[in-house]
Amino acid sequence: MKRYVLFLIGLTITAVYLFPLYWMYLTAFKGSSEIFQYPPSFWPSDPQWNFLQVWKERDMGRYIWNSLLIAVGVTVLVTLLGTGCAYVLARVRNIWMDMALFAILMMQVLPSSLMVTPIFVAFNQLGLLASPRLAVILAQTAKVLPLYIVLCRATFVQVPRELEDAALVDGSSRVGAFFNIMLPLARNGILVTSVLIFLQSFGEYVYARSLIAKNELQTATVGLQTFMGPNANDWNGIMTYAAIYVTPILIVFMLLQRRIVSGLTAGALK
Amino acid sequence: MQSIIRTIRDGSGFDILLLGFALVYLVTFSAFPIIYNIVMSLQTVDMFTIASFSRPFVGLQNYYNILSQPIASLVFWNTVKFVVLSIVFQLSIGFGLALFFNQDFPGATYLRGLFLAGWIMPALVVGAIWKWLLAGDFGVINHILMSLGITEGRIFWLSDPDIALYAVIIANVWLGIPFNMILLSVGLASIPRDVYEAAELDGAGPFERFRSITLPLMRAQLGAVISLGIIFTLQQFDLIAALTQGGPADSSNVAQYWSWQLSFQTYEISLGSAVSVMMILFVIVVAAIYVRSTRHEHSY
Amino acid sequence: MKRIASWIAGAAALFSAATAQAEPVTLEIWTIDRPDQYIYLVKDEFEKEHPDIKLNLKTVQFRDMVNDLARAMATGEGPDVTYIDNPEVALFASRGLLLDLTPMIEESKIIKKEDIFPGPLASVTWDDKIYGIPRGANTIALYYNADMFKAKGLDPDKPPRTWDELYDAAKKLTDPAKNVYGLAFSAVATEEGTFQFLPWLQMTGGDYNKVDTDGGVKVLEFWGKLIDEKLASPDTLIRSQYDSTATFNAGNAAMAISGPWEMPRMAREAKFEYRAALLPIPQEGAARASALGEGDNVILANSKHPKEAFVLIEWLYSKMPEVWNRFGFLPASKVKVDNPQWPEIYAVFEESMKYARNRGPHPEWPKISKAVYTAIQSSLTHRSEPKAALGAAQKQIDGVLGR
Repeated sequence: MKRYVLFLIGLTITAVYLFPLYWMYLTAFKGSSEIFQYPPSFWPSDPQWNFLQVWKERDMGRYIWNSLLIAVGVTVLVTLLGTGCAYVLARVRNIWMDMALFAILMMQVLPSSLMVTPIFVAFNQLGLLASPRLAVILAQTAKVLPLYIVLCRATFVQVPRELEDAALVDGSSRVGAFFNIMLPLARNGILVTSVLIFLQSFGEYVYARSLIAKNELQTATVGLQTFMGPNANDWNGIMTYAAIYVTPILIVFMLLQRRIVSGLTAGALK
Repeated sequence: MQSIIRTIRDGSGFDILLLGFALVYLVTFSAFPIIYNIVMSLQTVDMFTIASFSRPFVGLQNYYNILSQPIASLVFWNTVKFVVLSIVFQLSIGFGLALFFNQDFPGATYLRGLFLAGWIMPALVVGAIWKWLLAGDFGVINHILMSLGITEGRIFWLSDPDIALYAVIIANVWLGIPFNMILLSVGLASIPRDVYEAAELDGAGPFERFRSITLPLMRAQLGAVISLGIIFTLQQFDLIAALTQGGPADSSNVAQYWSWQLSFQTYEISLGSAVSVMMILFVIVVAAIYVRSTRHEHSY
Repeated sequence: MKRIASWIAGAAALFSAATAQAEPVTLEIWTIDRPDQYIYLVKDEFEKEHPDIKLNLKTVQFRDMVNDLARAMATGEGPDVTYIDNPEVALFASRGLLLDLTPMIEESKIIKKEDIFPGPLASVTWDDKIYGIPRGANTIALYYNADMFKAKGLDPDKPPRTWDELYDAAKKLTDPAKNVYGLAFSAVATEEGTFQFLPWLQMTGGDYNKVDTDGGVKVLEFWGKLIDEKLASPDTLIRSQYDSTATFNAGNAAMAISGPWEMPRMAREAKFEYRAALLPIPQEGAARASALGEGDNVILANSKHPKEAFVLIEWLYSKMPEVWNRFGFLPASKVKVDNPQWPEIYAVFEESMKYARNRGPHPEWPKISKAVYTAIQSSLTHRSEPKAALGAAQKQIDGVLGR
């Protein structure tokens, strides 16, 4: 019985939290004057079905493909670079490690909007702007790597040290212990963090906008701005576009999240 | 050569190698822009001379100019309010939700998954949605508050100078909840059940268990989430741009937005850089506190 | 012999045409247009008529345009042709970053300098040279809901002509029970706020370089009164012109101050009879003024294809008679518009154009603009008195103007 009460409470909380999302879908369906009506309607009076049209007209397939490419690139690069670093920072404690951790945190102090000018200048000098999607991957990796390291580090801290020590006593090399013991035990944390990095990079906007000159290489978030102009904000279109953009990821991650979390609760640490 | 391979396989060489990759990468791609900003804050920079380093050096003049602007103290206190309130609410709501969904009931994992929505949405879109929700005349939040009889008249969330900052904070809290909740969930899940069971046998109540087990064991996660939360909040830009643009009359202006306004709206790039450098100084303090706090982390 | 020569000439012409077609010049174009606006609409048409020129379009957000351009120019990555908003032309031209079009215009058969209206011409002129060609023009006027006028006993044939009449009408039309405000306009803290404010100031004798006048105080007091008495929404402070007018279209405001760009949407969405009138003046007999908007097509000084770029600009200029019906701009030059859509409203805007004044020009316009909208905002939120707010703005403007 108590479990169902909890379920109902949980459902209510989630519904309240997701209300803005509902509003996005609702706005996507409303006509553009209905949006401004008061009292607001909670159900579209004359539902507009613009999804296919927006998808085609704005060439969203291509934009989403670019976003996906960049997000995957960033996630792979970040995981490769960051996991080992996080492990070391969790395992070894001395003043040098403190300084390294401090330096890493410092590296993501500035918002992208303030970092982008120097990055643009530097990448231009290096000729990286010729392959703009790679440029965005590199810049965004630098942006989210500290986040990944700090979060992943917290995961490694929670893995009992005795397990690694036991493996070392049994004659395993450091490399072997890392890959055979530590990585599997921390995989849930790594997975969740990678998912967060992926989502962040999928929604990256500032770097893509500034570093990518060619329209056909642009990302979905930048594509969104084609609805906005000084004398024209097509809110309908914006919400429709956003809905198309968000829905598939939302579904995928809802399904995936079940795995992640069930992996968490049934993890090896019980 | 043999010894190098050995140290990489078995010794501290392995640590240095792993750490080195990430550090070299970060120094290459992130340190340069930061130093660039510091240099610009000491020079007179024109939007057309951003690509060269040879610009007139003016020392701390830009900092003096910034601090003597009448809105400097307003922006400072707004930033403090923005960061502190955002963090307090994000963390407490996020932690509360993590604890709640950590209980065993049907659909808990699915429902928790739905919270990721806030993390997926581009801040640009989140800003647009909240602008609708909070609109004074046709906003649904006013409608709901008034139909429930909570408020008499309309609240002009975004155009009342006494409220605008809090409206932005509300939206920012919404945006930050999933991050806090998901990460704290991960931390909670990795606390072994038997620790709790042992405490329960010792007669510790739920509150006592939370205080003596959950909090200490979550220290690493909490430290990470709070320090990152502060940094994220200081980077929150799109939301402010979409909601109030720092207005009305700078009543919701915060340091990162001000810095952008100076650099990119009135093209006083040196002044904008000076503000960003002062933000860096603030983050140095946060980072130092975080690093110190990691010394007391529990491992079990 | 002659025949052979002409054969050879023909073959050469063919050959060169063939090479031209094999390797068309690609012009990089930056624009603020969305894919259903201006340059996107004419791209195919142009490329068909000029098979040797291809256009690569990139949309840049309006608020990012100047920064992105400056950054691109600083690193040599700029486009060939770009849109620039009127008041920003001086910023780029004064630094020699734009191509001086004066000699090309003198030779041009399509663009005649004398045909361009003085306001738009002033906006592209810096130091007596012409650096751009207006894509069109716009200005602002007072839209009103004739049905609401009738319902409240006002004569829709006699829209408010002075500020007092405007206030009275707004007061009569405001109906909180029906969620109707008398007037919608924009006092937002961006260039748009300045854009809407300047004509009011100019009608009282001030201008961008002289804001701390009694007239300026009068304008701010008038605007403040509209908002304090809830004849206009408090959200006027944060809404752009387009979003403000949306409330008019939805029937939540009885009058709205905005420009011709609203027409396509209004025609689609407003379910009532809408009309337009000239901006009201302070009192009978006072001077009229109106804002001058829209942007210009310019060629960057370091473009590798200035000739082709000018061909494009000329071609776009030749579309001037169609800009009203196709893009919702007013013509920026003396052309005859055949069968304009919404003829009555077109007539109002056409007349309004006569009073439209350019903003600036000044290379540091954004700073001037910021001083102006900051004063508007601090006065309307009662953070400071109108006089003090305008005094502070004047001090900053004087600083920028070097006085």
